[in-house]
Amino acid sequence: MITVNINGKDIKLEKAVTVLEAARSAGIKIPTLCYHEQLEKYGGCRLCLVEVEKMPRLQTACTLISADGMVIRTETEQLAEVRRGILEFLLINHPLDCPYCDKAGECELQDLVEKYGTAKGRYMEKKRTVPESLEDPVIVRNMGRCIACTRCVRMCEGVQGASAIAVINRGGHSHIEPFSGGRYDCEYCGNCVSVCPVGAIMSRLHRHSYRPWQVKENIETVCPYCGVGCTVILQVRDDVIKRVVPRIGSVVNNGMLCSRGRFGYEFVGNRERLTSPLIKKNGVFEEATWEEAISLVANRLKEARDGYGGAAVAGIASPRCTNEDNFIFQKFMRVVLGTNNIDSSARTGYAGAQSFIENISGQGATANIIAGLSNSDVVLVTGGDPTTVNPILGLQIRSCAGKGGNILTVGHVRGLRHFNPAELRPALFTETLLLEGILHSLKNTKELPGSNPKFEAKIRELNISPEDIIKTCGVSEEDFNGFLKKLSGAANPAIVIGKELIQSIGSSYKLFLVLAINYLINGRVYLLSERANEQGLIDMGCTPDSLPGCRPVAYAEFRRRYETAWKTTIPDKPGLSIFEMMDSAGSGALKAMYIMGENPLFNLPESHASEAALKNLDFLVVQDIFLTETGKLADVVLPSLGWSEKEGTFTNMERRIQRLRKAVYRDGMEDWKILSEVAKNMGVKFNYADAEEIFNEISRVSPLHRDLTYNEIEKGNALYPYKGEPLRGVMEDIVSHKGDRLDAGDKLYLGLERPLFHSGTLSTKASALLHIYPEAVATISPSTAEKFSLKPGDKVRVTTGAGSLSLPVAVDDAVHGSLVMITNNFEGKGAFALIKYIADPVTKAPVIEGIEVHLEKDGTV
Amino acid sequence: MEKVLLKNIDNPDSADIGEYRKAGGYRSLPKALELEPKAIIEEVKKAGLRGRGGAGFPVAMKWTFASSDPKFPKYLLCNADEGEPGTFKDRPILEKNPHLLIEGMIISGYTLKAEYGYIYLRGEYPEAKHILDKAIAQAYENGFLGEKIAGKDVRFHLAVHQGAGAYICGEETALIESLEGDRGQPRIKPPFPVNVGAFSMPTVVNNVETLSNLPYIIEIGGEAYSKIGSPDCPGPKLYCVSGHIEKPGVYELPMGTILKDIIYTHCGGIKGGGKLKAVIPGGISTPVLPPDKLDCPMDFVNMPKHGSMLGSGAVIVMDESVCLVKVCYRALKFFEHESCGKCTPCREGTGWLRSILGRIEDGSGVDGDIELLLSVSGNIMGKTFCPLGDGAASVVQNFIKHFRPEFEDHIKNAGCSLKN
Repeated sequence: MITVNINGKDIKLEKAVTVLEAARSAGIKIPTLCYHEQLEKYGGCRLCLVEVEKMPRLQTACTLISADGMVIRTETEQLAEVRRGILEFLLINHPLDCPYCDKAGECELQDLVEKYGTAKGRYMEKKRTVPESLEDPVIVRNMGRCIACTRCVRMCEGVQGASAIAVINRGGHSHIEPFSGGRYDCEYCGNCVSVCPVGAIMSRLHRHSYRPWQVKENIETVCPYCGVGCTVILQVRDDVIKRVVPRIGSVVNNGMLCSRGRFGYEFVGNRERLTSPLIKKNGVFEEATWEEAISLVANRLKEARDGYGGAAVAGIASPRCTNEDNFIFQKFMRVVLGTNNIDSSARTGYAGAQSFIENISGQGATANIIAGLSNSDVVLVTGGDPTTVNPILGLQIRSCAGKGGNILTVGHVRGLRHFNPAELRPALFTETLLLEGILHSLKNTKELPGSNPKFEAKIRELNISPEDIIKTCGVSEEDFNGFLKKLSGAANPAIVIGKELIQSIGSSYKLFLVLAINYLINGRVYLLSERANEQGLIDMGCTPDSLPGCRPVAYAEFRRRYETAWKTTIPDKPGLSIFEMMDSAGSGALKAMYIMGENPLFNLPESHASEAALKNLDFLVVQDIFLTETGKLADVVLPSLGWSEKEGTFTNMERRIQRLRKAVYRDGMEDWKILSEVAKNMGVKFNYADAEEIFNEISRVSPLHRDLTYNEIEKGNALYPYKGEPLRGVMEDIVSHKGDRLDAGDKLYLGLERPLFHSGTLSTKASALLHIYPEAVATISPSTAEKFSLKPGDKVRVTTGAGSLSLPVAVDDAVHGSLVMITNNFEGKGAFALIKYIADPVTKAPVIEGIEVHLEKDGTV
Repeated sequence: MEKVLLKNIDNPDSADIGEYRKAGGYRSLPKALELEPKAIIEEVKKAGLRGRGGAGFPVAMKWTFASSDPKFPKYLLCNADEGEPGTFKDRPILEKNPHLLIEGMIISGYTLKAEYGYIYLRGEYPEAKHILDKAIAQAYENGFLGEKIAGKDVRFHLAVHQGAGAYICGEETALIESLEGDRGQPRIKPPFPVNVGAFSMPTVVNNVETLSNLPYIIEIGGEAYSKIGSPDCPGPKLYCVSGHIEKPGVYELPMGTILKDIIYTHCGGIKGGGKLKAVIPGGISTPVLPPDKLDCPMDFVNMPKHGSMLGSGAVIVMDESVCLVKVCYRALKFFEHESCGKCTPCREGTGWLRSILGRIEDGSGVDGDIELLLSVSGNIMGKTFCPLGDGAASVVQNFIKHFRPEFEDHIKNAGCSLKN
């Protein structure tokens, strides 16, 4: 315990913090500009100079570490003079363009000058000028306003880990430039925008469109994009989101955002939003009233149910919708339509992988705290790039490297390439072999711990012959041994599993191997999640085989609990998976479908088959915020409220339950409300006044959410199982499927690109993100480009056994020479159109590996 | 006084290892390796050696700090970024007597248990780079550098790192940043380089001249060394004298030689028998002195008592033909150009001072400009991150202090009377 005296006040400190921190802890304000709590100390602006007894010079409070007995003064006539002087220096070159600077009103320099500065200027020379830069789609730079505090550079380099910008020139000519030249050409996280104290780096989205003081509301909610569930604050005026900003101290993202989270909000205000229910008459959509549309939906569903039984209807839920929406959705399907035919796009990877992992390692095995990654000593990354799929989780891995942790990657992980990863890049189709090799070598150095006998028995059964593994995989022995040494020496390791692994050949077997490796090193598993409420929808029972709280439907005692609560009978057999639904629809066994906030035509393999299947239904109702490809096939389309227009909760990949809040008003109904109306028309009363009432029911019936209330969630840290118990004791046999190893040869194969800037429908309706990444491209390696005489921008026709697309070419030296990378984000240009549905027999995840691609120059488009 | 630092430099082949050895070189090294590192620090302490870069920090104290830090590896950096205007004292050592520096560095490295050394050489000394590279190669060939030095279990590796033309990189923490490949800007202290320096390891940064004293201290012992020159900061000192002087050049004289004697006795007085107007005694950052204030012993202790500083010992002599407003303007142009931009007062203030001085010099100065200069330099002084800004402010303050009428005259007569 040390004591310092600031302005005559004794302040007791637990540890020797900086004088600035000590002062702030006692409510004493010291002016600062270059200081930022998220960033490394700098001491450059000199505004925080203070007087310290026994020290001849003035000291910067932001860098001076307090010592016992230190006597400090922060408000004296001398210091007022110093601050006036510093501010005068800052203003000699800073333009006085506050009347049209978007920062005015929240500009730290403006505020300080107002408080400490002089009213009269003594500078007679011309100011330094730098023209405004509009080179970047989402960021606008006015470097004439830059005060060289370097907060942006320290953010970009030290926290975001992107190192995209730097101070160029020196002295009075210092300002910030991207390394890439005129454009930032970076991750566009915009975290530099967050920390810029003046109007030098700002978001272009709201340029000259409002003043900060015109913001009427700051609504704290959850980002709609990925499974990390970042806290975002929506700044709203007149029911329009003006800006999205993070909050320092928020538990998941602590002041950081990614490009999607910060700049991707515009989709809610997109003009293409559905405004009225649509009913298809003679093949053409006509606007209809809600009464008309709902009664039609109710009648047609009733016909299907009464005519063919619950097994003939099915529903697809949405990882974009809230827990409340999804809970009502499955309740509607089970109670009103009497079916377990409920599934979602989570089936394409996350759901199956999670069931597989939980069966071996226990329920909640993947529910690990994201921030904990940065405290690991080793992070092993498999199956893709976490920095693009779950960017804020990716930051934690970068932070781990920054703290001296070791990053190990199987395959090339672009977003981590500057973080000194120990990288093993297996040759095409040899990843399984490499994982076997790693497991085999680990077994030689590590004892099986004995905590999971059933799993151990399976590990022992493995028949791995280690010969030539290294050679076949094409990795060097030195790299392999180095990798293994770090892995086996880890004290607090974590393994990150991405979808590329889950959607590859033999994915269940690979998962088994990764889990076995994890078991031996006693690590934690993180399963990347691409959708905001992918976890929540599983928890809510939107799967064919489980009820809310992840209770298997096949077990009578679990069923009974819900049957009692809902006064109904639930079918005892698991329903159809999303893929089986398409098959059944195609064969005519399925008669009607209800699709909520999902676009299976786009998000499932074999679009053509899905299209035919959905067309074959007697009745299809699609409820969404946009008219998607799937919506166009529907008989009735119901417009729902979007992310920022409703209350509710999302559950992130950590299983943290967070509140989604209504920020803007829009005419319409929430998904749960529409479903309740349909239910009412079918004679079942769903009497919920609001989302909270639904949540209260969830916490009554789901053992994982027991006693949880909105009030508790408000307090933060509502992770489940909340006062409830996870499921134990039900362990199915461990079955995995290895698959055949393909011989790569010199053919080309399809790869699925998961870009940072897009994640499907929402992002492609957000104009800022479209500006950064405007269209679907086929990305190939320089060697492929040379072989086919292609240059960037050329059109190519990419053909597989399932379909064909014409796309412009992009060339990237990080792409594997045998792969053609295509995203699944742009309407009519999705990679899934090129994929035949072949599933892993265990996880049921589609296999997007080994799909041969034919490439030819396409002059016609 | 016997020449120590400039010994043998009239020999055209003085940079060659053979000639250096012939003149007695590399004899202190084996002697030093017989001593315990602690004993060498003790000798340096007895010698009273102070850093010759400008600050005059006691070398033994710096070395003790670095030695008592338990972290390894440690680094020894030679600051050869001789950038202070008027300064060229290290150049003859680098170009004519490189082995003296190398021997000094090996001894220092051994003392500090530092196994890696770098000579951070200013980019504008390409010839010295060539000479040093050759000398280092010779030292490796002769077993003075590398593993098992002089057959002992001692290793020391040495390389030259060229700067890219930034004055600020003469500041030790900026030098370290630059050496590491980062932008040359000073670091927050503490931690000091002796604990967290190059590559975050304990690091000693010493000037070329400082390190070149080591062989001699070992040769004659600290006690004897301390008898040379000023008792408070003994030893031989290189003074580099330039400007309106009969015999400009680098002079090796005992520390504390009277400034007037340097100018009139050793350097032959003012060029062409002209009239002295001003002397900057220790490089451009040190306060200018008028002709009646030259009776001062040129050392670290006494110069401050006489209103200036020893600095780098770079004596710039100016006669009556010189416009001091222009000199001041030119100095500020230098500081503005060399300001790294890290801290506000230096980044913005040096340019502002330069522009005010510029308009006074070209005849468009206005009443109140002198007060403005003093006010602006006062707002810099003591508020900057490193001494560069203080140096700039001090130039303005001292030129006005001693030569205010000349500034007033410029404003009154709308320009410089010397121009005609």
